[in-house]
Amino acid sequence: MSFEEADLGTHVVLAPEGKFNLVAAPPLKARIDDLVAAGRSRLVVDLGAVDFIDSSGLGALIGGLKSARQQGGDLRIAGAGDQVRAVLKLTNLDRILAPYDTVEEAVHDW
Amino acid sequence: MAMPASTGRQEAEALARNVPEERYDRVVRLAQAIFGAPIAALNLIGNDSQFTVASIGYPKGEMPAEDSVCHMTVQHQEILEVRDLREDERFASIPAVTGPPRVRFYAGVPVRGQSGQNVGALCILDLVPRTLGRQQREMLADLGALLERELAVQEEMDLAGQVQQLMLPTSAPDIAGVEVAGRVQPAREAGGDYFDWFVVDDPSGTGRRLQMVLGDVMGKGLAASLIASEVRAVLRGHSRYSDVGAAVAQTSTTTRHDLEANNRFSTLWVGRLDPATGALDYVDAGHGLAVIASQRGYRRLYQEYLPLGMPIEDSWDKASDVLGRDELLVVVSDGVFDVLDDSFDKAYAKLQEILDPELSCRQIVDRIVDYAVSHAATDDVTALAVRRT
Repeated sequence: MSFEEADLGTHVVLAPEGKFNLVAAPPLKARIDDLVAAGRSRLVVDLGAVDFIDSSGLGALIGGLKSARQQGGDLRIAGAGDQVRAVLKLTNLDRILAPYDTVEEAVHDW
Repeated sequence: MAMPASTGRQEAEALARNVPEERYDRVVRLAQAIFGAPIAALNLIGNDSQFTVASIGYPKGEMPAEDSVCHMTVQHQEILEVRDLREDERFASIPAVTGPPRVRFYAGVPVRGQSGQNVGALCILDLVPRTLGRQQREMLADLGALLERELAVQEEMDLAGQVQQLMLPTSAPDIAGVEVAGRVQPAREAGGDYFDWFVVDDPSGTGRRLQMVLGDVMGKGLAASLIASEVRAVLRGHSRYSDVGAAVAQTSTTTRHDLEANNRFSTLWVGRLDPATGALDYVDAGHGLAVIASQRGYRRLYQEYLPLGMPIEDSWDKASDVLGRDELLVVVSDGVFDVLDDSFDKAYAKLQEILDPELSCRQIVDRIVDYAVSHAATDDVTALAVRRT
């Protein structure tokens, strides 16, 4: 799986699509780590085109959140569909990874 | 066959029982293409049978070892090449030579298992007599070495899976008044799901309790299973001296470094039941998939705590419920929930079909796991069922 990337100056938007799982998660996580290492620690993962997430996908988001916060930034998610929201809610991870409806809302204070 | 069962043959039997999709096919395809032969195969030689576990131009399956050429190849350490099988008295009368596909040419390289003994051979077959040049023989030996590596990886994975299975509780807990069963079906040889149960003396001083655990470490495979083993062992240790809330909190502290360093997290559901009264203390660390069900309905045993291994601090305090005599406690992993479209109502509808007092807990977990596996679960699948007797 590939993912789209858009550099919007104050932040970078990453948009994976399809299944965000054991196959798709590592490349996205690696890209997040590269971005954070390059000083880009305000990140939005646009999940609008993701129809399924598993624990590996969640792991990549949490790992990305952790590295972004360590560098004084943040990782936020936007556009999550029903399945993604259900999994976030089930694991209570929506407590630390609040889903925003749109990318615009996610970056409102950046 | 009159040959003694050697270590290599036992090893081949074990490998043939658990053949992963695709793992050996690539090398066999490569051999077929490089040698331009109509047939290429990896044959494992067991006690009495040859198992064709990867092949091109020849069906996979089992046949008597004495009807194969490879059973001769594994008795030596070098390539066996036969220009024309029809003219070699050792092989002229075997079925593949006298009948279809009427093979003439054979070249096979023995492949060793972890024991150092040969477990099988990579072979190429042709329908016309031919000979291999020196470089071709070297190439065949290289492909054999490549397969040895694949076999070694597979054996390691199989052993890791066995170790993990052997850590699961197998016997009924030494406490009266309760029936419990669990089952894990990892997506690969080993995985991040596990269940556990054991008897503890509750620190409240009110007697013995059955502690039941279902854990799910993010990810699949060997790496996830290593972390799962750690969480299991640490939780077991802390559970001896603490109530369930404190035990989970202490487990989080003890495993924090290892979870964070590996970028893993673990959901956990831990319950502690007094079979005599049905009193149940539990902690739900981001697992969310425990219910008490009866024909009257179901209720979730759910809390809002995070899984272990998150980048922010959390606390875990126990909640309480009572397991009625006609109720069933069921905990599953998300691999089960996924095939139920992540819907509790759908899960309960399916569960109602097996809320049968005639079914044992063992049968109930088998039904749940078999259902998930037969509905194309892609994740590890685990179920735990408990009721008072």
